[in-house]
Amino acid sequence: MTSILETKGLCRAFGGIVALNNVDLAVEAGRITAVIGPNGAGKTTLFNLVAGVYPVDRGEIVFRGTALNNVATHKRTAMGIARTFQNVLLFGNMTALENVMTGQHVRSRYGFFEAAFRLPKSRREEETISLKAMRYLNLVGLGMHAQRNALDLPLGQQKLLTIARALATEPQLLMLDEPGAGLNTLEKRDLSDLVRRIRDMGISVLLVEHDMDLVMGLAEWVVVLDSGQKIAEGTAGEIQRNQRVIAAYLGEEEE
Amino acid sequence: MAGVTSGSIYALVGLGFTVIYSVTGIINFAQGEFVMLGGMISYIILDSTGLPTVPALLLTIAVVATVGAVLYLMAIRSARKASVVSLIIITIGASVFIRGVAGEIWTRDYVRPPYFSGDESLSFLGAYIQPQALWIIGTTVAAMIVLQVFLTYTVMGKALRACAINRAAAGLVGIDARVMALISFSLAAAFGALGGVVVAPLTTTSYSVGVMMGLKGFVAAAIGGFRSPFAAFVGGITIGIVESLAVAIDWGPFSSAYKDAIALVVLLLILLVRSGRLAAEERVG
Amino acid sequence: MLAKVRGRAAYAVIVLLLLLVMLAPFEWFLARYTTLMIFIGLNTMLTVGLCLLMGYTGQVSLGHAAFFGIGAYFSAILSKTYDVNPWLAMGIGAAATGAFAYVISYPIFRLRGNYLAMATLGLGLIIYILFRELGDYTGGPDGMYGIPYLSAGGFVFDTPFKRYFLVWGLCLAMLLISQNIVRSRSGRALRAIHGSEAAAESVGINSAQFKMKIFVLSAVYASLAGSLFVHHLRFVGPQPFGFLASVMVVVMAVVGGLASVWGAIFGAAAIRILSDKVLLEFGELDLIVYGLILMVVMIFLPQGLFVGLKEGYARLRLRYVRREAEP
Repeated sequence: MTSILETKGLCRAFGGIVALNNVDLAVEAGRITAVIGPNGAGKTTLFNLVAGVYPVDRGEIVFRGTALNNVATHKRTAMGIARTFQNVLLFGNMTALENVMTGQHVRSRYGFFEAAFRLPKSRREEETISLKAMRYLNLVGLGMHAQRNALDLPLGQQKLLTIARALATEPQLLMLDEPGAGLNTLEKRDLSDLVRRIRDMGISVLLVEHDMDLVMGLAEWVVVLDSGQKIAEGTAGEIQRNQRVIAAYLGEEEE
Repeated sequence: MAGVTSGSIYALVGLGFTVIYSVTGIINFAQGEFVMLGGMISYIILDSTGLPTVPALLLTIAVVATVGAVLYLMAIRSARKASVVSLIIITIGASVFIRGVAGEIWTRDYVRPPYFSGDESLSFLGAYIQPQALWIIGTTVAAMIVLQVFLTYTVMGKALRACAINRAAAGLVGIDARVMALISFSLAAAFGALGGVVVAPLTTTSYSVGVMMGLKGFVAAAIGGFRSPFAAFVGGITIGIVESLAVAIDWGPFSSAYKDAIALVVLLLILLVRSGRLAAEERVG
Repeated sequence: MLAKVRGRAAYAVIVLLLLLVMLAPFEWFLARYTTLMIFIGLNTMLTVGLCLLMGYTGQVSLGHAAFFGIGAYFSAILSKTYDVNPWLAMGIGAAATGAFAYVISYPIFRLRGNYLAMATLGLGLIIYILFRELGDYTGGPDGMYGIPYLSAGGFVFDTPFKRYFLVWGLCLAMLLISQNIVRSRSGRALRAIHGSEAAAESVGINSAQFKMKIFVLSAVYASLAGSLFVHHLRFVGPQPFGFLASVMVVVMAVVGGLASVWGAIFGAAAIRILSDKVLLEFGELDLIVYGLILMVVMIFLPQGLFVGLKEGYARLRLRYVRREAEP
């Protein structure tokens, strides 16, 4: 049991509203972990804190033994954390392949100078970048769309493309923000298969998801947030039977 | 006192930025040209027709408000889905266009419309003050109050505020966002023109004053966070006072010749500090 | 594979066109248009820098002419007043402009979108005022005369014909460097920042650093153009570095198609010819025409005129090819 990511006593408030209160979370290496909870439970806040979009108020985020609190967003990617976005955020001014190639940014080094004069280093690295990018594109099944503009693809494929882009950063932890939103049943099944294959590659997966069927079929560990607090965690089966979780989802009807 | 006077004008320009931004989410880089048009057109009308002052000024404001409406209808409405960069370039284009037209059909010289009520300084608590400065301050305060009343108590004003709060929801209750955008552009133009009309007799005006006015009005609105007319008013007065203080200090070798540059540096510093905070708020919101 | 071949073909066409441009002055053309060509070259240098910054990276600058001016005044003052070797002066000017851009990039890129545009506008105005008011050094509004020619060994660039090659040689070098950068890892990073800064950060791109680098590069381009400008005219005054000059560069970039390196030549040439050969005939309509160009192009072809036309042509050709393919 080694956890790749841990949060200890994580707190974050916006204005007067507490979005996350004292959350302890452990993402075990090589496992698919899901964070669920009703709207406003703090799921996205948790994601953004781990990714470094905004700073934490109190508490600690530890990734493979290193405290992340003061690490800039782009450096977290270099350390091995990758993410997708709820609202997709593909680069509309590039082809599908180029989108994935940007993922290789942190795994390549050559800069302005080598590029400006097309030094051998730049050509060598560029070749590796495009080969690897093509491999990730094939992995998510978009190989034949490499040269199409990213935003010309249908939503389902756009979401796969963001996963390929995140994978191209060669992460140890992949965070998926609502990967199933807007997908049909067939696409969701393909998505589940893909996430399992990613797990089998040795990449830990942390996902936030609304679709219970998807989560229960996919996640090996489920963490439930409600009003900024962790109220339960366990296997999918345990969570489905947990009274507090049922109460949180059904809300006031309990009273 | 000079700070409050010039600050009043910045406040009027800032009001324009605030009205358009809160209703449409657009920053209109041509806002300063409305001030220029106000000054120039009032000069032309007063100089070439025998109209008495008040009707001439009202006519000026009506003309410029129409220009604002035309700007929206011709340029902005056709580019509604444009990116921020595109909208900046479009409104800069409008700004240069308006400036070019003014320089071409009227004059490229500095002109000065007559004072509203003579140029004899009044003694006020031991200090002397130009009557025109009182006009400027009075007009700005009046405009502020009128706008606030308009937004709070009239149906159209309430519809505008609804758009500012949530455009999609306003649409659901039957408010046409495009009509509101049109109104906001004419309103902003009218306020800009009002500023131009009252300030031109004091400072003179020319076809090229728009850029500087726009920049200062923008900072005024930015201090207020593009939120309310009152916030823009406070922002405008703040800049006016800070600017007049900065210029009054003896900068040694950077003598009075660099007044404009010093004022601009101060403005940029305010902008940096203020927008850093705004960006942080935006990210959280 | 196909893309690669097509890329090479495009490359060959471009090289061919450029050769034509280079050889053009040997014709009758020489006598009449060399000076115009020099100005087009200088404007291209400015425009390509702004295209990198605005078109590719999405960061608006409304004060780009200021960097052009800093280079110009460094060259003028050092080589005339202090007798520094003009090449060295040019280098010092470029280094100083780059350093200046580097220093201001820290505060200024904390701003985005509209704020950034306004701040660069203000910055441009400040520098313009300094050119005008630091009369002891710059000659004030009247400017400075008698700036020496550039020379190498015994070879003096004393005719427009010689300077034509100097300007276009450097201009081509800048275009090639820009082209290589745009197609590289760094170029993708710049376009990613334009696409979505949040997503760019999420793949590990240090957006602040890349914005700074491209800002400095475009400032250095502008500075070098400014140096060549004063050694060509042998005169410098504040007028070509004000707000309207910055807007001119934006017009050229917009006509060139913002995210296009070679479009910069098109934009610079089109606007230069328009302003020197057409608008002069009609009095001073320049502002009206530029304003109209900015509005009309951005409303109907937001990707810019050159790129918009290119894409339109590609679509037409595709339709034609499809029709051919049908039996």
